[in-house]
Order: sequence, then C-alpha cells, then structure tokens
Amino acid sequence: MMVRQEKILEVKNLQKNYGKRDNTMKALNGVSFDILQGEFLGIMGASGSGKTTLLNCIATIIKPTSGSVFLSGKNISSFDSKDLADYRGTRIGYLFQDFELLDNLTGKENILLPLAIHGMDVAKASIKLDELVDFLEITNILNKFPSQMSGGEKQRVAAARSLISNPDIVLADEPTGSLDTRSARILMNKLQEINHESKKTILMVSHDPNTTSFCSRILFIQDGVIFHELRRKQDESRENFYQRILNLVAQLGGGSANVL
Amino acid sequence: MFSRMVYNSARRSRKENLIYFATLVTAIASFYIILSLGRQDIILFLREFESDAINSLLAQMSIVYIFALFLLFFLILFANQYQLKRRSKEFGLYIILGMRKKRLILQLLAEGLITSILALIGGILIGGFLAEIISLTVSRLVGQGIIGHQISLSVEAIFYTIIGFLFIQFIALIILGSKLFNQEVYKLLYGEVDKKQNMGHLKYNVLNLLVGSVLLGVAYWIALYHFINFTGLHMLLILSLGCLGTILFMRGFAKLLGLLANLPKSKTTKGLHTFTLRQFQENIANKSISVAVTSILITLAIILLANGASIFVGAESISTKGSWVYDFTVNGNSQKVEKFLNSKKMGAYVEDLNFLEIGRMKNGDKQTEGNMPSSLVEWSKLRQQIIKAMPNDYKEQVLSGNMQQYSFSSENPEAVNIFGALETSQISPYLIRESSYNGILKAVGEKPLNLDSNEIALYFNPDFIPFENIDSIPVLDNILEEAIKKEESLMSINNKDIYIHSSIPMRGLVADRSVEIFSAFIVPDYMFKQLINKETYVSYWNFRIPQKLQEQQGLMKPMLEARDILKSSEFGFESYLQNFGRKLFYVVAGSYVTLYMGFLFLIISCTVLALQFLTQMKQTRQRYLTLSMLGAKSTQMKKSMHRQVLLTFLLPTFLACVSGTVGIRVMNSFVTAKIDDNALLYPIALAFACVVILILLVYGIAVARSADHEIDKLL
Repeated sequence: MMVRQEKILEVKNLQKNYGKRDNTMKALNGVSFDILQGEFLGIMGASGSGKTTLLNCIATIIKPTSGSVFLSGKNISSFDSKDLADYRGTRIGYLFQDFELLDNLTGKENILLPLAIHGMDVAKASIKLDELVDFLEITNILNKFPSQMSGGEKQRVAAARSLISNPDIVLADEPTGSLDTRSARILMNKLQEINHESKKTILMVSHDPNTTSFCSRILFIQDGVIFHELRRKQDESRENFYQRILNLVAQLGGGSANVL
Repeated sequence: MFSRMVYNSARRSRKENLIYFATLVTAIASFYIILSLGRQDIILFLREFESDAINSLLAQMSIVYIFALFLLFFLILFANQYQLKRRSKEFGLYIILGMRKKRLILQLLAEGLITSILALIGGILIGGFLAEIISLTVSRLVGQGIIGHQISLSVEAIFYTIIGFLFIQFIALIILGSKLFNQEVYKLLYGEVDKKQNMGHLKYNVLNLLVGSVLLGVAYWIALYHFINFTGLHMLLILSLGCLGTILFMRGFAKLLGLLANLPKSKTTKGLHTFTLRQFQENIANKSISVAVTSILITLAIILLANGASIFVGAESISTKGSWVYDFTVNGNSQKVEKFLNSKKMGAYVEDLNFLEIGRMKNGDKQTEGNMPSSLVEWSKLRQQIIKAMPNDYKEQVLSGNMQQYSFSSENPEAVNIFGALETSQISPYLIRESSYNGILKAVGEKPLNLDSNEIALYFNPDFIPFENIDSIPVLDNILEEAIKKEESLMSINNKDIYIHSSIPMRGLVADRSVEIFSAFIVPDYMFKQLINKETYVSYWNFRIPQKLQEQQGLMKPMLEARDILKSSEFGFESYLQNFGRKLFYVVAGSYVTLYMGFLFLIISCTVLALQFLTQMKQTRQRYLTLSMLGAKSTQMKKSMHRQVLLTFLLPTFLACVSGTVGIRVMNSFVTAKIDDNALLYPIALAFACVVILILLVYGIAVARSADHEIDKLL
C-alpha cells in the first residue's frame, strides 16, 4: 500500500537559455517534475544534456530563464542572493564531484562550517556530529586536513557537511565522479542507508548507471527535456535495477558513450 | 598580431593588478629620489662650501643606490612572480596551442617593457614631484629662507633611473619566465598540485615559539644592557639573534594558531571565525620566513625613521641663527678694509659694520714658580663664590684638586662651565674692547654696556659653552648681586679693585671661527689700551647683509654676491655660510640616508605583505566559492577577509614595534645624546609614527579593497 507522501520539491516548466537572440541555446526546455519526501531521485543524461544545468537551477547557483522551483512550498528560483544564502547550507545540502572541502580546515571544522556560517550553536550540534561521524566512519580523520585524507574519506566528510544542518534535501552532483569503485560503492551504500533510515530526500545527477542504480527513481534527460522515467520496484534487487538501466541506455542509443 | 596581443595583455595586467603597477611605480620613484639628491637645493647649497664632504657623500649615494637597486630587485621579483602566477593558466594555454617557450618569454619581456615604460613615466613624475617637495621642505625647515629654491629635475637621475629599473625588471622577468616555463604544462593550467597542510607537531611548534622568544629576549637584553658600540661582535650578535628569534617566533606562532581555532569558546565557532584563523595561519605558516623578514624590515624602518627624525630635530637648532650675529668677517689692514667695505660696489651689502678689537692681557712682571708667567688678575673671591654655587659632587672634585680637565657641555651645571672657562684662561685672559662689543649689542638691538672706569663685563662664547639662555647667566648674577649688597669687589686687576657688570647678552664675535675663545673680559676702551699685550692684538671688520636686501632676495643670493666681491679683493674673510653649511652637512648626511632607507624598508615590507596576501587570495579563490555555496553571504566573507588583512599586517608590525622600541631606546642612549632639545623629539617622533601607520593603513586598505573586488567578481 502506497503511503501518500508530501512533495518536497516541485520543478515547474523550467527553462534556461544561454546566449543572445539569434544564437540561443536552450539548455533546459520546459522541465517539470516533483520529488517526494524521502525519495532518492537520480537524473541521468549525457554530457550537454542539461542535467548539470538542472541541478544548478535547483541548487540556486544559476537563475532559470523562466519556470519555477518550489522547495517545501517556497519559490526559491525567485529569491535574491540574501534569501538564497539563508537557504544554502541549511535547507539545501550539497555534495560535489570534487568534494570542495576547504583544505586549510580540518575534517571537523569542514563539517561544522555550515553551522558556523549561519551562526548556529555548534555545541548543540555535537550529538548530531557524533552520530554522523560514527555512521560515515570518519571518526579517526576528524582532526586531519583534507590533504591527509583519501578521496573516499574526503567525500564522506563532505557528506557529513551536507547533512549536519539537517537540510530538507541533499543535492549531489556526480558524487562518485572522482572516486575509485570501492570508495564509490561505500559512499553510495551510505547515501542509500541515510535515505532509508532517516528518510532524507536526495537528488543526484550522474551519468554512471552503477551509481544511479542506488536510486529509487531515475529521470532521463536529453537536449533539455525529460524524456523517460525508471522506477525501482519494491523489493527489486539493485543488480536487477542496474540491468534495467543498462538495457534502457542500450535501447535508447546503443551504448552509454553515445547517449548517456 | 603579436604586438596587439602584447599591448592588450600589458594593458590588462595593469588594470587588473593595480598593486603590481603601483609597486613598479614606487620602485622607480625611490630610485629617482636617491639619484636626484645631487640636485636638491640643500645639496647644491652645501656644495658651495663643503664640496669635498658633499662629493664624498654623493659618492656614497651610489652605494646607497646599488643597495636600493638590490633591495628593489627582490621587490620587483616578488611583484612579477605574483603577476605571472595570476596568469599561469593563460600561459599554459598558449603552450598547449603550440606557442614556443622562447616566443612566450619574448612576449613576456615585450609586455614587461610596455608596462615598464608606463611605470617609468608615472614613477619619474611622482619621484620628481616628491623630490621637489622634499627639496622645498628641507630648505624651508632647515634653511629658512637662506637657501633659494631651484627646480630639482635632473636628466642624469632620470637616465640612471631608467637604466637601473629596466635592468632589474629584465633580470627578474628572465629568471621568472624561464622558471615558469620549465614547469609542466599541467601545473600551468591547473595550478599547484595540492599542497600538504603541514602544521607540524605541537611539541616542535611550542619549542620554536619558546626558542624564538628566548632568542629575541636575549637580543633585547644585550641591546639594552650590554651594548657598547655599533661595530663589532655585539652588533652582529644582536642582529643575528634578533633575526633568528623573529623567524622561529613566527614559525611557531603561525602553526600554533590552529590551537586557537580549536578553542571551545562559543565565539570561535560562530561565523567564519575558524575559517579566518585558518586562512591567516596558512598565509603565515607557509611563508613564515618572508613574514619574519617583513617584520625585521619594519623594525629597521622604525629604528631608521626614528633616528633620521631625531637628527632632523637636531637640525632645528641650525635654522635659528642663535648666537650668530654677523654674516661676514673680514680681516686685513683695517683702514683699507674699511674703505673697501664702504665702497660703492660693496656698500650695498654692508649693514651694522663693526670693528672688533681683541687681544690677550699683558702678564705681570713677576715670574711664578716653574717659570710660568704671572697674571695681573686676582679673582680668588669670585672663584670661591662660583665654587660655592656648584652642586656638591662637583664642589668636592674642584676643592680636592681632582678636576684636571674641563669639558663644556649642556649636561654640566652652568657654574661648572663658567668656572672652567675662567680657570683655563686666568693667566692671560682675552680682552674685548667695550666699544667693539657695544657694536654687536647695537646690531642685535640691545642696550650698550656703559662700563664704569673700574668695571668690566665677563664674556663667555656661546658657541663653545652651552647656556640655557644666551642673554643672561643667573648663577653669575646671583653671585654679583650678593657682592653688590656687601659692597665687595670680587676681583682685582693690576692690584686695582674691579667691579663686575651683571651678565650680558652673549653673541658670536665673528661670522665663523676666526676667533676661538671661550671667555674674555670686556673692558672699557682706556683699560683695553693699558692692558693689551700688543703682540696678541687682532682686529676684524664684521658686517651683516642689510635686512632690506634679505627681505627682497633671501639671505642666500646677496650673501653669495657679497662673497664673490670679497673673493676678488685682497682681504681674507669668512662667512656665516661656512658655519651654517658645516652644521647642515652633518644633518643632511645623517638624516637623508637614514630616512630614505627607513621609508624604503617600510614600503618594501608593506608591498611584500600585500602581494603575499593577494596571491593567497587568488590561490584560494575556490574556497570562497565553496563558502558561498554553503550559504556564506558576501558581507560575511568580506568581513572575514578584512580580518585576515588586519591580522596579516598586524602580526609582523606588532613584533616590529616591540623590537623597534628596544632599538630606539638603544639608539637614544648612544646616538642622539647630542640633541639638546628633547621636547621637540616627541612631536617629530609622533609625526613619523603617524606616517608609518598611514603607510601601513594605505596598503591595508588597498589590499582589502582589491580583495573585496575579487569576491565581488566571484559571485
């Protein structure tokens, strides 16, 4: 039986054009979709398909030409930079391909940075910090600097940072892009677990079928338009889902290199 | 195509990097100033009298120039390194696109040349302007109208400025260019590979800090309590201990800043505090040596500026003519001289003409033991009274006969000074004819003496014996008043009781040094004739340049004209200018070089700090982007950055202030002891301190503003 879930993010007819009149490139051409509370949504697409533009619009890094993005009912695409700053880091958590840790801050300082920026009481967050650190298995590297950590460790520290302020949604842009397979698997397992256990909503962009097979639903984007959707069935194994993704990719264009 | 590219890049780097351009301009301006020194009013003026000394000073200037060239080379190197780092991505791209490295270096040099030419124009204009201002200020401050003003623009200085600057710019670009293009293209394109955040072990850092502090402490201790002179082992020891201490201190301090970031205070975890501290830490921990060097340079700058300022304060007493009355003294056949001075040609330059007659007193007929000539003067009562007026410790020395030598200094009580002056000339004291001295008094607007027939006045030469007030000697007056009350005569000459006139205004007898006497008796004209030892009689004609002429043309011009006329005559003469010039020379030689080096050190250290900060800012650009992604507002980031600027400038300055204070104290107890007027030292020292702070502020604000600009560009 399906439980009726709340929409956490609504994307309505999002358009983003680059360039001027005669020479416009439509990076996003009317994208609409919803994300429900607790969903783990993947967006797949090839280079230039518009997936990163879509994520950046949601992440408030770029302003859409038209259309709107509602986060928990608020139209964040119309926010000015001041309101945006309040949203970033608290309501939205980010996970980047190349981690974006500050390399002159220790692991712990990096994790606590969003709280400090927003002037929140760090002392009160210590329980949350312990929990996260414990769960992501990064206790012993908390006092190390990023340059002393492995790639996987860095990304888990970045994950802890994206979760510390308990955001409504975590946006992940190719989070496994800079990791080896083993580290990538560990990270994805952790993300999946967070999604399952604490019902954290995650929106992830990737072109890697292996990575997106951890999602509960996948949107396929091409030339700025969403053209397909895959849903992981209840109790479907990840391997099975992965196979289905591969099949779809193959059908659509004969190999991931070509289409995705 | 090539030239267009060169032109555009050169223009862009000037626009984008004001600090780089400003550094070049500053370097050029400082070259020009040192090189055009020979054209400064005061130097031109001094050349007339002290040409040997001035020439050797100017010869020394070339050493200063080479030293400045050497220092500024590093500054230019640093500035160019910063500039090239900013553009490394662009260079990487050129190489990827197949541009040859040789051509790239050529392009770099061509760009450098364009920028250099513009910087040269700006620098020489600013340098010329500053040199002009310095020239005017100094001649006003020191010369007060005595020195005329001439435009100080010097073609030779411009020439050597251009040569010197282009030379170091060229060398710097060659070194940096070849270093840059020997890197892997990857490094050029994507910047430095992740630097390890090496913060070291806590233990070593604490050790560094402790050892650094101890070394500094030892250096201060030696400087303050065991410093003997400026040369030799002590100086070397203090310098090396101080430098090593500063470096270790900085290194330990920087790395320990991390501890501060971890303090569980609520303040440390709010906002970007941790980030700010970590940025600051990184900025100085990775460059502890250059931060330490800037700190040492600021220390030197503080000491040099304070020292230069104090020499300058000493100069203040030169500008006031003080005890000097006459501008010229002429000797020769007195009638001929008088005729010449009253002639049409010369007369226009003569005012207050006075005939000075002096000589020594005859000796008594009796011979004393040891074949010494006897004195006609008997002054034991006066002597007793003066000894009585001395402070006790001096009194004991004199009475016990331990006082063998007399030195005249402002530190002695006046009673001791006048006692010494009288005692040393008691056998055959100098005599000055009353009418001669009345001429001097008239010239300075004082009443004539009108001595009674049994009265004399005591004269002390204020050039050699320092008095608080050259118009009266209270100690002497007290003694004389007592004597008048008791109707007692304190002295006799040739067995005749003599009364002493109360102390009189004392002025220089001649224009410079032809009369070197410490004390004399001013005696009525008849007594002069009676008592004079004819063999020692000398006479001089003294005169002043007319007041009107001075008002019209300044003192300098008529004085030089009068000098030229006198030169063509057969008479010997001397002028006040020689005296003035001699004193001025010490001031100029002392203060110019110290002040110049002081400002140079200050500017170099400020520029290094500024460029270092901006380089770090540029390199850690991505961090600010990340911060913004995590929700940091631009005001928040700017605030953090302003803090970083403040800390970056404050840390080396703070240590420099401590070391500088010690240095100034040491200098004070050795060098500036000559200065009589300590009251003036404080306002001038304060003014220079303000200038130092102002320069630091200007640099700080410039850095903060360009960093603000970077953040705005980022978002």
